[in-house]
Amino acid sequence: MREITIRDAIREAIDEEMTRDDKVFLLGEEVAQYNGAYKISKGLLDKYGDKRIIDTPIVEGGFSGLATGAALTGLRPIVEFMSFNFSFVAFDQIVNNAMKIHYMSGGRFTVPIVFRGPNGAAARVSCQHSHNVEPLYAHLPGCIIVAPSTAYDSKGLLKAAIRNNNPVFFLENEMLYNNKGEVPDHDYTVEIGKAKVLNEGKHITLISYSRMIYYCDEVVQEYKKRGIEIELIDLRTIKPLDVGTIVASAKKTGRVVVVEEGHKYAGICAEVISVLQEFCLDYLDAPIKRVCQMETPLPYSPPLEAETIPNTKRIKNAIDEILVGVK
Amino acid sequence: MQKKDPYDQIEFYKADAKSVIADMGQDLALSMLDEMLLIRHFETRGEQSYQQGKVWGFYHSYIGQEAVQTGITNALGKKKNLYAATYRCHALALLLGMSPESGMAELFGKETGNAGGRGGSMHMYSDNMFGGSGIVGGQWPLGAGLAFSLKYRDIKDEVAVVFGGDGSIPQGTFHESMNLAKLWKLPLIVVIENNRISMGTQLERTLANFPIAENMSKAYDITAYTVDGMCITDVYDLFKKVKAEVLETSEPVMIEVMCDRFKGHSISDAATYRTKEDIENIKKKDPIVSYTNALKEFCGFTDEELEKRSAAQKQIVVNAVKMADEASYPSVDSLEEGVIVE
Repeated sequence: MREITIRDAIREAIDEEMTRDDKVFLLGEEVAQYNGAYKISKGLLDKYGDKRIIDTPIVEGGFSGLATGAALTGLRPIVEFMSFNFSFVAFDQIVNNAMKIHYMSGGRFTVPIVFRGPNGAAARVSCQHSHNVEPLYAHLPGCIIVAPSTAYDSKGLLKAAIRNNNPVFFLENEMLYNNKGEVPDHDYTVEIGKAKVLNEGKHITLISYSRMIYYCDEVVQEYKKRGIEIELIDLRTIKPLDVGTIVASAKKTGRVVVVEEGHKYAGICAEVISVLQEFCLDYLDAPIKRVCQMETPLPYSPPLEAETIPNTKRIKNAIDEILVGVK
Repeated sequence: MQKKDPYDQIEFYKADAKSVIADMGQDLALSMLDEMLLIRHFETRGEQSYQQGKVWGFYHSYIGQEAVQTGITNALGKKKNLYAATYRCHALALLLGMSPESGMAELFGKETGNAGGRGGSMHMYSDNMFGGSGIVGGQWPLGAGLAFSLKYRDIKDEVAVVFGGDGSIPQGTFHESMNLAKLWKLPLIVVIENNRISMGTQLERTLANFPIAENMSKAYDITAYTVDGMCITDVYDLFKKVKAEVLETSEPVMIEVMCDRFKGHSISDAATYRTKEDIENIKKKDPIVSYTNALKEFCGFTDEELEKRSAAQKQIVVNAVKMADEASYPSVDSLEEGVIVE
């Protein structure tokens, strides 16, 4: 099978869905003539023209609300945030309009819209450009959140997101754009709401998503050499959570570590752990551990940045703490 | 020395009431009166039901402003065109197809309500009326999006209309939306209903520069008009012209409609920022009274006929209240339905 980068996988998804459905269009800062700040939309202006690949002024609230209004009439906008940090400027439009109108109107209207762009820390971009936004949106009803880690899932989940009739946050990661993976030539989607077991194991379950999957996988391979089999689960969809898959794994291994790039307090880990204790407390042989970003704004200086973002050392420490008694 | 009111310095759009009414024809002229009466009775009974403890939350009455949206929707067309509005949305939804029964049931929080009891007073809808936005200024970008959709879908015989109050003009969303509407040449009619009070704060204390349309339009190179919203014939005539203008140019137009709300900002607002005398003066400008007078002058309309028509609309509302009262609340089993489209 051919291998392509996550960047190309995302572009192919947009391209194919725009060909399939003329209601789909892309708007955002620098998406058209500049070919995208991260070149996701490279070539799409030439192919589809400025009616459907639309450069916006720097006005996230305005264009997110405009896209929501267009979605209410049956169009299917893809809103690119140059960085998900900028979605905060559009917070009211996203939360009070895009995410609420379906329920608030008694189901009369739907809002088929995708908000996408890089999420989380990149490299030394400091306090205001490094947020992991998923817990903020996940807290509020009325949306779907996906955060793939591979090229295959990026393409399949984005296509599914564009076809979905709800507001979907599609969270990318700048550090992963050049990662390559196998992607088939044929049309496919990846089902929203399904986690994936990347590595089967019996001693401990490691749950994560997006960029952190790569750190986790490094740890999995290292422990494999020591005879410790870690079950690695990529959530892929953060909301709704695939409760079945994580519960089954936790019951099997009895030990769980959850890894999240974002902050610890009221984060995605907190939700995952809460679900696990609810459904499999009796199966657990140790407290569930979480590895998250420290409770500080993300600092610029390299050693500080490296310390606050979860790393393999911290993941291994968490595993070792609850592996006592195994083997 | 008292400062001159800047609104005395600008030109208001004026129409000849007689020829406007002749242009409407008697049937439309009278059905517009009926609609104003329906709104008046609906709001009166809605507030009464609130006082009786059957309606809750925020209640923003449209009493006093009936001529504005009645004139606009009839001038533009109700079946077509796309509309978005503020939380003061009962009248617009009624005008655009929400039945008084489902509107009242929504206020009562019943399952037969316009939004199944999910929305309440601030969130009412019809097939071409997209709410009912509860956040001041939140509707401006939505309106631009409706206009964007018309253009994207190449619909050339409809316009999008977005309403907002003077209190939402300082919000960034207003300026962002005006810029986008002009930049992308969107067929959008921007209606600023200016009652000169944002909740309890006078216009002079919220805006650095007004009249609003006259000044703000220049920043975005948008055509602007100002009109007396208490005079339905002026409103109707202006919006007829503006629709033609927008369809021809596919560019936004900004219209400031001066109006007065007779009530407080919401039902819980005692409106102590206005004197009794202020309120009495405002009520002298009652748009239903002035329109009735015009109909008397130009169509031989009589007080008896007004009584009859008012009683008929009142009866519709009384029935709606009765039905709302008797309807069931939504089943709690349905609470989690409709959050996400399955």
